[in-house]
This record gives sequence, structure tokens and C-alpha cells, in this order.
Amino acid sequence: MKAPEKSPLGEPHPSLIAPGQTLDSVTRTVSDIPLRHPHPRFWWTAFLAAFALVLLLLVSIAWLFTRGIGVWGVTVPIAWGFAIVNFVWWIGIGHAGTFISAILLLLHQAWRTSINRFTEAMTLFAVACAGLYPLLHLGRPQFFYWLVPYPDTMGLWPQFRSPLEWDVFAVSTYAMVSLLFWYVGLLPDLATMRDRAATRWKARVYGLLSLGWRGDARHWRHYQKLYILLAGLAAPLVVSVHTIVGLDFAIAILPGWHSTIFPPFFVAGAIFSGFSMVLTLIIPLRAVYKLQGLITDRHLDLMAKVMMTTGWLVIYGYFCEFFTAWRSGNVFEQFTAANRVIGPYAGYFWALMVCNVLAPQFLWSSRLRHNIVVLFVVAFMVNVGMWIERFVIVITSLHRDFLPSSWGMYHATFWDYSTLAGTVGLFVALLFLFLRFLPAISMTEMRRFVAKKEGGQ
Amino acid sequence: MPPPPSAPVNQDAPEFWRSLDDRVLTPEFQARLAKEFPFVATLPPSEVDRRNFVKLMGASIALAGLSGCVRRSLDKIVPYVVAPELAIPGRPEFYATAMPAEGYARGIVVESHLGRPTKIEGNTDHPESLGATDAITQAAILSLYDPDRSREPRRQGQPAGWSAFDSEWAEHQATLLASQGEGLALLTEPTSSPSVRLELESILRKFPKARWYQHTPLAAYEMDGLQPDYDFDAADVVFTIGSDCLYRHPAAVRYGRAFAGRRRVVDGRIRMNRFYALEATPTVTGTLADFRLPGSPARMRVVLDALAQTLTQGAPSASGLSPAEDRFVTALAADLRLHAPAVVCVAGPEEDADLQRWAFALNAHLGAGEKAVRFLAPVRSDSDPASAGNLAALTAVMHRREVSQLFVLGSNPVYTAPADLDFVSALSQVPFTVHLGGHADETALRCTWHLPESHWLETWSDLRGYEGTPTILQPLIEPLFNTRSSLEILRELSTGPGTKAYEIVRETWQDGQDAEAFDLRWHRWLNVGVVDGPTAPMVAPSVDRTFPVLARPASDALTVLLLQPDPTVSDGRWANNSWLQELPKPLTTLTWDNAALLSPAYATQLGITNGDVLALSVGADSLDVAAWIVPGHAVGCVTLSLGYGRTAAGSVGTGYGFNAYQLRSTDALWQRPGLNIRTTGRRYALAATQQQFGMAGRDLVRVVAPDALSVPPPAASPTLYPLWKNGGYAWGMSIDLSTCLGCSACITACQAENNIPVVGKEQVARGRQMHWIRVDTYFSGDPANPRVVHEPVPCMQCENAPCELVCPVGATVHSSEGLNDMVYNRCVGTRYCSNNCPYKVRRFNFFDYRSPSGALSHLQENPDVTVRERGVMEKCTYCVQRINAARISAQKENRPIRDGEIKTACQQACPAEAIVFGNLADPHSRVSHRKREPTNYILLEELNTRPRTTYLAKVRHPAGGRA
Repeated sequence: MKAPEKSPLGEPHPSLIAPGQTLDSVTRTVSDIPLRHPHPRFWWTAFLAAFALVLLLLVSIAWLFTRGIGVWGVTVPIAWGFAIVNFVWWIGIGHAGTFISAILLLLHQAWRTSINRFTEAMTLFAVACAGLYPLLHLGRPQFFYWLVPYPDTMGLWPQFRSPLEWDVFAVSTYAMVSLLFWYVGLLPDLATMRDRAATRWKARVYGLLSLGWRGDARHWRHYQKLYILLAGLAAPLVVSVHTIVGLDFAIAILPGWHSTIFPPFFVAGAIFSGFSMVLTLIIPLRAVYKLQGLITDRHLDLMAKVMMTTGWLVIYGYFCEFFTAWRSGNVFEQFTAANRVIGPYAGYFWALMVCNVLAPQFLWSSRLRHNIVVLFVVAFMVNVGMWIERFVIVITSLHRDFLPSSWGMYHATFWDYSTLAGTVGLFVALLFLFLRFLPAISMTEMRRFVAKKEGGQ
Repeated sequence: MPPPPSAPVNQDAPEFWRSLDDRVLTPEFQARLAKEFPFVATLPPSEVDRRNFVKLMGASIALAGLSGCVRRSLDKIVPYVVAPELAIPGRPEFYATAMPAEGYARGIVVESHLGRPTKIEGNTDHPESLGATDAITQAAILSLYDPDRSREPRRQGQPAGWSAFDSEWAEHQATLLASQGEGLALLTEPTSSPSVRLELESILRKFPKARWYQHTPLAAYEMDGLQPDYDFDAADVVFTIGSDCLYRHPAAVRYGRAFAGRRRVVDGRIRMNRFYALEATPTVTGTLADFRLPGSPARMRVVLDALAQTLTQGAPSASGLSPAEDRFVTALAADLRLHAPAVVCVAGPEEDADLQRWAFALNAHLGAGEKAVRFLAPVRSDSDPASAGNLAALTAVMHRREVSQLFVLGSNPVYTAPADLDFVSALSQVPFTVHLGGHADETALRCTWHLPESHWLETWSDLRGYEGTPTILQPLIEPLFNTRSSLEILRELSTGPGTKAYEIVRETWQDGQDAEAFDLRWHRWLNVGVVDGPTAPMVAPSVDRTFPVLARPASDALTVLLLQPDPTVSDGRWANNSWLQELPKPLTTLTWDNAALLSPAYATQLGITNGDVLALSVGADSLDVAAWIVPGHAVGCVTLSLGYGRTAAGSVGTGYGFNAYQLRSTDALWQRPGLNIRTTGRRYALAATQQQFGMAGRDLVRVVAPDALSVPPPAASPTLYPLWKNGGYAWGMSIDLSTCLGCSACITACQAENNIPVVGKEQVARGRQMHWIRVDTYFSGDPANPRVVHEPVPCMQCENAPCELVCPVGATVHSSEGLNDMVYNRCVGTRYCSNNCPYKVRRFNFFDYRSPSGALSHLQENPDVTVRERGVMEKCTYCVQRINAARISAQKENRPIRDGEIKTACQQACPAEAIVFGNLADPHSRVSHRKREPTNYILLEELNTRPRTTYLAKVRHPAGGRA
């Protein structure tokens, strides 16, 4: 991951693009997916399956709003359940996109080029799924706007000391900047799509979306400046969003939440889960749409390495939690730590250890790392593991806190699971719509990549 | 305006006209128009210009929309022409009356808002209340508004009017008069009511051959014509034998108050008594004991024999005692000798007669009659000479077809009769049966006539307290339904319908007095809630000082089934009261069900866990019951409480729990040896509000010995944050764990005061009960005989409140007087406050728990407290509505709020006066005094939440015999 390049978009590493790719082949490969719609059976099957889950999500939300939050398993003392677990999980997944696009761009990592578009889209959809949950989980969702600081006739403002209030700003800013970043990056490609569209109708739509892009030198100049600026703006957001999500917990006095390690721990966990989700999605899609020429094995290798790095940061976080509990001398902290390992939810803890601590260690071996199947399985396990991690943090901390008389157990209901499945469906459905209608790989950047490579020869 | 039909219609009359005058354009109209609306007169009448049209349309649409916003009530609202005296909207009135508690009076004061009773408080002038109540009394108000109350007389299940019953009874009456009442039988519950007694007497005079029977499934509080009464204040040593007299007794409130007085630290000193308990099933009373010994009925007899021998001969002759039993007997005997005659021995009324006589003998032996024990002539009619016997006697004559007319008054024998009586078939042999009761219950469904009975808050009556003080029961409200009181029915039996209960009660008490003088007294009695004059006469006890020989069971090895009245629904009469159903039963915290209680060792032996269904069988009777393990339960017996498994309790109580009456037999009402237990492999979902009963090694309830009355004083932990500015008053609370009985009266009182909803069994099982104050129970030590502590936990009103910090909308905020106010309107329901509350006292409306619109129970609701909607967090705010009411009256009188002027609902109900609320800014207030006691401590002090509610440590003699 050295960065000797001079250009902001970086010099191509020879193995980051398959030999024989030309400007034309890149454009064709990428733009053919939305324009010619190859593999319709695969697309329709996957999309309809996901759409069925979207319908389930709608039913779940309708039932939730009709009956109340009690249809979920939340109770006292476990007043936060799947909704918060899922929220943190999705927000975490949403981290890879901006990390890849913005931070790797600023760090001149050329290998981000072929995956940034896709991961940005993934970010957007994950944030959309995440954003649903804080609204759904309110007891009175109709008043969600009370969390927004607007000039109320009674002079009421939100309570700014609450981390949930910070969340409102953090998540909405992140969603907005991610959307802008993604869309700005899309502009030249949308123009390409307009130019290559077979029908007048398609050309018009793409033309409208490309905001009149003509490939003018001034356009390019503005575009590049804006893109770098937005990258600079998005980079701190990658850290801030999950820092604040971490603070949602760390501010509380609850043993298991009240911990200063949470903000960096959460950020590392987010990138960890984001990369694992990218791998989980890209490995099958690359195979179906024959994109091995653009998303090469080297890409996967690099992503696996990032995953390992952040995985170790997360492991350090786990260690810190237990170490702090032990060193604090605080009976409540110590109990919570012990309760995670041997309590009623110990199964979740050990599953977490297998998925997040054990599984990534297979990637030390270069041979295994280059085995697509192993990589996919590990990435998938990390996805599951990160969900379990949030479950362990939220549920096991809440279910046994200070007074044993109020200890309880959490029993998720059908509607908890259906809402989770529903947002997975929403995520996948949006992703497939994206694949169907927009270029999943940045043609602009890939062309520049190829051009540089050719020029270099 | 009269239309002028004769006037010629103007040819160029407008197509749109303002009135008929306008249409014909009479000059008068134009003149008037010009005078009144000069600017309209100048407009051409037929034209509406575009600008005005648009204006009018806009305004109409806007106004049409506006009218849609208002839901107009169809009710006509008519103000009082002459307002009733003292009826001021928004200000409650209070009336003194009494509540029937097992036939005895418990003096109460009822709060009434514009004619609807909303809350029951204790009557400070009544000796059996002293201002406090128990949980059942608090919940009784809800039963007035029970939607399942019977509303109409029914004949064979079909609605029939009172006149139909009156005429049908008149025919029977005529026949009976001729036959001197041959075949007429009455079944009542034992009562202390003088008026009922007089009415029964007059019936028996009129129909000399009629028979009056009495039935209650509960035990009598008298033995051999003696009704014992105890003075726990004078007793230095208390010894209870299977008795729950501080929790379930007609005088429990008075006893609890007196007992607590001997457990309270005042100015660092305590007049501590020593309390020994011997019992099979852990009771609230027994778990308060310093020295508690669990023992099956057989072991109890062995222990008592050994104790008697130790007291009479100096040592038990033939021991056979276990080491624990031996220590208990030795310590108790020494204490009894040392402290005699200031000792009390109480045997539970459900214990066998020989055990009760044994307790009498012990008291007599130690001379307790001089100090702490006295005997009264029975106040209740159990052994009334006019009564022909109990239910068994009645059933026998019914089986012999000697009964042709049966009146069941206020009793439910079809449900409560022991299984072997076969009362149902006996009932079917009686041609004319009449049931009077508040509900169409199991008995009502099998009688010819069911007559709806007025609730005791709807009618006049009289009752006497356990120690004999009479009280006139006055109605708070006209009968809600077409009902009559039992006094009215009794009068109808002897003479005819029409006499009002009011007249009957007045007749009883006037008793030939001068009318004017009587009126004065009558009003004083009603005002105070107590009739001055005769209490129960003391009886010189002719108690034998020698200990009776205690019968030994045939075999020690037999498992014994113990039956007991349920801690909340009693014999089943409160089964349709949802507050009592959801009130966690002390020690088990079970709600909505009874269960077979058994000891941990026995459960291990049988290999069962909580919720396993057991097939119990004894004799010919069998029943499947879910099991619940209770630490401290005696080995070799299983306890099951009555009152569940009802089939016609109403919409609330039907179908929950297991009907223990099916295991009852006439000769073994409370204990049946020879119980067979078989596991069925099935599970039954029981809903308990507490899952963990150990303190996990945490310092939550502090216990000190009476000779070491101090705990480490609260340290002033540092904080970076500025303290709140004090707004004059600083409200605070002190809860004395040493006097807390664990009776849960505070929970129900809070529920009644603060409109706290009931959520149902499934929701409780999920942990969603709504009680703002709960009573935590912790066991410590050996599960076979643990030390038990109760800890009431309301909101602590922290100064550094973790909840306030995390609410994103500021729905929970700090008041200038130190309350954590909850702004229901502002709450969006993130529930972070609950997560961050270390005491977990916040409750969330996961569903819409309110009663449906139009429900009768809305009449009970306190108009001073918001009813919370779905998705809103709620919690205790020290009864802020009471604080504000006191503030208003203090400000009107231009004075500060006095100490003791505000009592929170929990404080007011507490029999033990364990809860004290007041102004911490006043160093002379009671609560400030309490907080200076050496036993004052803060729950979870290390969190530095600085709660306004603090605790006084529990004072208890160290375990293991004499300290």
C-alpha cells in the first residue's frame, strides 16, 4: 500500500487492471451492464427476492406503527433491541464507501479506482437502511422532528447534551455528503451513458442526470476540484459518524457501555465491517458480470489486508474492554465482562470471537487470501460477527446492570427479525437497481487509469 | 322577519338574495340595510365581484376546515342552578366509611371528585387503619368500576326486573309464612355487621323453622369463643407459628404499625424486639423474623413439643431435633423466659386447632395476658348461636331435600366449596335458589335467581373492626347499576321490598334514642368514620396454662399439601381486580397466577424447575399445577393458594391459575397429607416481575445489628458540575428498610393515585409491568432458610440524574425543587433514559395500555394526573400533583408548606410508616431527621447520582440464635 504517485488519482499498479484493457474496452465493459442488461435472469431473481423482503419490511413497519413499539422484543431493562443493533450495524457497513472514496483518494491509493463507485453506492444504501431504525424505534415516531432544531413556537429546542441529538447531525450530514460525493463522481459517467444510450428516452434521462456535462476542459477542472474538496469534507465524517455512534453508548453510565475506548473501537469496527461487506458483495458480482479485468485479484487482496488491519484494531478493542474491567476494580464492570463470557448470552460472545477474531486470521496466509471462496466465507463471517458484536454490546450490557432485581432477558419477536430481513432486502434491492441503471465502476477513472498505463509504456 | 307574500315581486329581483325582503326590494329593507351596513347597501345586490368571490370562497373553505376540527359533543351541558354545597370542580371531597375485610371493618377515607370516588385512604381515626391501608384496600376502588359487575336481576340467566323477583318472592313468602319457614335456608358469610345480625334475627323470628348457615373459605379468627388480640408494641419477644398476621389479618395494619414501632431507629436508638417465626410456607411476616425456622407441619409439632418441654421441664425430654431446630428452641426458650410476660405467640388461623390452643397456652404460661395478649368476645358471627352451621351442614340438609328455598347472600359456594362436598349437585336439588352478589359468578349461574348486589361504596351498612369498634358505612355514589344491598334483600325476606338500607341502618343505631340527639351523633359518626361507644368486650381468658398434646401425623414421610389464601386475590373474591392480579405476590413476585410452591431441595429431588407442570393428587382429588421454587419453604410439603382457576370471575380473572379448591376436603381445609406429585413434562408460562433474587455480592440492602446501629455515612463525592440551585423547597424521601414489611400496599396506592395501567400477563412476562414503585426482594444465605430483605424502589430523584442527560428532547428535566420531572407531552420515546437509569424505575408504554375509550374504569382515574399514551416514558415524581395542591393551598394562606402536609401516595398507604417524604431544606422536617439517623445510606452511592431518596439500613438480630 505504498503511494509513490504524483497524480491525485494515483499511478496504476500493473496488477490493478488486467492486461489488454483499452479505453474502449473499459467503457464498453462497464456501460454495457446498465445499457444492455446482461444476465437478466440473475438480475431478476436477485431483485425480486430482495423486493419480496422490501414488502415484508413495509408490512413490518405498518404493523409497528399500528400496534406500537411493543411488537418488538424490547422491554425494561432491555429498552434498546434489534433496532439499535441493526442501526449500528448498517452505519458501520456504510463506512467502507466513504473510506475508500475519500480517505484512500487523499492517500493516493490507486487501487480504490475500480471499487469506489460501487462502495459509495453501498454506503448510501446502508445509511438509508440505518437511518430507518432510529425513526422506527421511537415510541412516538410521528414526533421524530422534535430532535431537529427548528424554531418552535414554544421556544423548545432539542437537548444538546444528549448523544442521540449528536447522532441526528452526524448521520444526516454523513448521508448528505456521501450522496453528493457519489453523485458528483457520477457526472462524467452519466454523460458517457447519455452518449452511448441506444434509445432517445434513455439518452434524455441520462442527459438530464448528467446536468449538461460536455467534457469541456473547464468542466473537468471544476469537477476535479470539487471532487477533491468533497473528499476532504467526507474524510473526517468517516471518523465522526461512528465516533458519535460510539458515544451514544459511551456517554451512558451503564457498565459495558461507559468506556472511552468506544469511539475509536467503533470506527475501526465500522471499517472492518464495511470492507467485509464490500468483499461479500463484490466477489459474486465480479464473477457474474465478468469484471475480473477491472476488479482484479489484487483488489481483493488489498481489501483483505485492510480487513485484517482493522480486525486487529477491533481485537485490541475487545482486549481493552476486558482489561479495563479487570483493572477498574469496579464490581459492576467486572460483572458485565464476566457475564458476557459466561452469562446467558455467552453463546453470542463466543460466536463473535469465532467470526471476528478467529476467522480473519486465516487471511495471514497468502494462499488462503487468494482463494476466492475462503475470502468470501471469511468476509461473510465478519459481517455476521459484526452484527453479533453490536448485539453483545447492546443486549448483554442492558440485561444485567446494577440492581439484580431488575435484570431481565431479551426475547426478539418475529417483527424484530422481519424488520432486519426487510432492511437487508431493501439494501440488496437498491443495490440491484443501481447495478441495473448506473455504471457500477467509474469509467472516467478507469479510462484515466488505462491512459496512464498506456502512456507509461 | 315576516315574509311579505303580498308584496309584488320585483321584476329585476336578484337571482341571489339576502332575504325575502331583499328579493322583493322593499323600501323598508333598503333603508334598514343602508342604516346597518352602509357599505353593503352601496354594492349592487346581485353582483359578487371576482375579488369578493375569491375572498368568500377562501374564507368559507378555511372556515369549513375549521369546523371539521371541532368534535361537538352531543351531550347537553347544564350548569347547576343551585350548586350542591362543597362541590367545587377540581377539588376532591373526602368521606369516612369502612371497607369489609373478611367481615370486619377497615376504616377508610374515600376521595371523591365531583361525585365519583377515585381513591381510598386509611382513616386516621379508625383503630384498624390508623391512616394506613393494605394493598387490597387500595385496590378495592377499582372493583367499584368493574365492567363485569352484575347490572340486572337475572332469572335462569335471562334478564328479569326487580318487580318480577319481588312478586315471585311474595308468593314464596306467603307459603313460607304458612309453614313457619319450613325449607327456607339462608347462606351468608360471617359478618360483624350489627344491622345484618338484626335483620337475620327478624327473619328467624318471622320464620322460626328457617335455617341460617354461614360459609367462608377463609379461616376464623376465633378459637373456643375467644378472639385473641395482640399488642406488638408491648411485646419484646414475638413468636409466630405459621402466621402471616402482619400481612393477612383483619388487624394487619394495626399490627404492622405496632410491630414497625419496635424496629425503627429514632435518634440513633431502637426499642428492638426479638422475632422468631416457625412456618412451612414463607410468609411476609415470617421473613421479617430475626430467627426463622422452616418446618413441615410434622416438624413444627416436634419443635413445639420440644419448646414446651424446655419451658416446663428445662430441657426437651426426647430430642430428635435437628441442630438448627435445637438452636431455635434453645434460643427461643431463653428469650421467652427472659422477657416474659412481654411476649406474644401467634398461631396462624389456618393452623390446626391444637396448635392454636398451644399458642394460647404458651401465652398463658408466660403471663402474656398481663401485657401483650388480650382476648375479646368474638366480633364476627362465626359462632353465633342463632346460626345453624357451616356449608357442610347446609349441604347435608340440601342432599336430604329438606331445603326448598335457598338464599345465598354474598358468597360463592359453588366455587369455594371443598371438592368432597358436591355442593353443585346439592344445589340442583333445591327448587328455588337465589344468589345475591356483585358478579354473575359460578354460583349465580346455577341459581334460579341472580340478584345484583350494590357495591359497599354504593350503599349504607355497618361493620365492626377486629377490636370491635363499629363504623357506619356510607355510600360515596348512587348505585351505578340496578342493584340492591344485602340489607335491603334481608329486609325484603322478612317483610317486603321498599325499605332503603339507609333506614335499616338508622333503625339499628337509633334504637329508641331521641331523634334530635341521635341525628347529632349520627353525623358525628359519619364524619369521623367511627361510632363512639361499645367496642368488643374483653373476655377473662379461661385459657389452660398447660400445653395441649399435639397430635402427631401417622407418618413423617407423607408429603403434605398446604393450602393458603392467596396473598393478592385472597379466596378468589378479588380475582376480577386487575390491580391485584398484577400486583407481584410477595416473595415470589408472581402475577396473574398461583403456583405450587416448594422448597429448592425438594425441587432438586424431584428434578423440576420453575414453570414445570406437576400433577398433584391427594385422596381422590387431582389437579395439574405449575411449580414455583421458593427459598425458605419447608421440605416435605407443597403450598398452593386459593382463589385461582375461576371459571366465571369476569373478563379479568377468568382462566388464570389453578383451582386449589379441587384439592380441598371438608375435614382437611388447610393441610392434606399424602400428596402425590408427578411431573408431567409440560410447561406453563408463569409471569414473575423479578427474575433474580440474589444481590450478586452487591451492597444494595444494608443490614445492621441492633447493637451496631451505623453504616458508613454517605461521602460527599466530588463533581465537576455545578449543583442545582435550590428553589426554596428541596423534596426528599427516606425509606426505612428496617420497618418495611414488604406488604406492597405502596405499589397499589401508587397505581391508584397515578393512573398506572395494567398490562396483562403476557406483557408482565416480557418485563413490561408499569408500577412506578416496586418492592425488590432479595434472599441471602442458605436457600433452605435464607435471610430475606424487602426494598421498595421508587424513582430516586437524582440530583445528578443520568436520565436527564441523555434525553434528546428534554422530556425529563430537573425542577428547581429537585424533582426529575417527566414531561409526557414532550417524550418521543427513545427510551435512553431507562437504559441509563441505574435503578431501572422508568416505565414505558410499549403499547397503548389505556383502557378503551368509554370504559367504566375511567371513572376511577385521578383527574390531577395525566393518562399517558402509547410510546411515552413514565415514572414516579413524588406525587407532584399532591405537592402542587399543597403549594396552592399554602400560597392562598400565605404560608410555607408545613412538614407532613404533603404525603405521597405510597407514604400514606404504608402501614409501617416506612416511607417519609418532606422538605430537606428544612432541618426540622421529619425527613431531615430521618436522614440524620446513623443508618442512613444511599443506594448505589458510588455512581454519584446523589439521589433525593435514601434508605435506612435494615436492623436485624444476627442470624444463628441469640446475639
